[in-house]
Amino acid sequence: MTRERFIDLVRVEQEPLRRFLLALCNGDAALADDIAQDALVRAYVASGSFLGLSKFSTWLFRIAYNCYIDHHRKARLDEVPVEAVLAVPADESTDAAFRYQQLYQALERLPGKEKAAIALFYFEDRSIKEIASILDMPQGTVKYHLSLGRTHLKQYIRL
Amino acid sequence: MKEIDEFLRENKPALKDDPTFLLETRRRLEQVEGIKAEVDRQRSHGRVALIIALAAGLALGVFATTVAFLYPVDLQSVGDGFLQNVRVFLETWKHYLVYPVAALAVTLSLVLTLGGKKTARL
Repeated sequence: MTRERFIDLVRVEQEPLRRFLLALCNGDAALADDIAQDALVRAYVASGSFLGLSKFSTWLFRIAYNCYIDHHRKARLDEVPVEAVLAVPADESTDAAFRYQQLYQALERLPGKEKAAIALFYFEDRSIKEIASILDMPQGTVKYHLSLGRTHLKQYIRL
Repeated sequence: MKEIDEFLRENKPALKDDPTFLLETRRRLEQVEGIKAEVDRQRSHGRVALIIALAAGLALGVFATTVAFLYPVDLQSVGDGFLQNVRVFLETWKHYLVYPVAALAVTLSLVLTLGGKKTARL
């Protein structure tokens, strides 16, 4: 795959990809973009092995999720507490800002797989089959994580 | 549960517009291509060096064998009986020579294994 072709495909996918990582990073936009860039480089290096058996976006999201897992593991080892700047758009109302803050705080409390399943299902409108492929788990397990994630979020978010 | 569903669908994480994101991606991909090209260049250099070494080894081997066949040497007269003495020595002491050779092999394998582990940790 040529660089230009790859960038064309990324142009379409960059927004959902960044949003997915933003949810995984609990609203830390700088970290999410950093992981997204790493994932894109990794994907480009491995683009020769992309056979088109799945959708490009599914393949890319899977790489991004693996990058996030790697980063998460490394961060847990380093354990340097950094005050993240939550990605709440400046022009949002106080009410919306509060909702985002609530959302990110709730997401932070979710285990990684539940968070990923919730983010893909609700924020990216992915099917269970696609989520299973991205997270590399059976569809039944995805449903289980989704259900558990919903139950947990109901406890954490006051509606 | 329906409330949570609605809350999540209505509050998708909001992305800030970042026009530099794709520019940064392009810059990183260019760097990757630079590294790839350098690795490929070094690999092809290595391959050429290997082929040259193989060809040189083959040519030298053929040359040495040809010389050996064309100009046979009487080793006994050249070595003044030295090689014959070595042969007799090995014949006589071969049962005892096995032990130091085996000990040396075990020591070497231990040293190389431990050295390899140290390198792998780096």
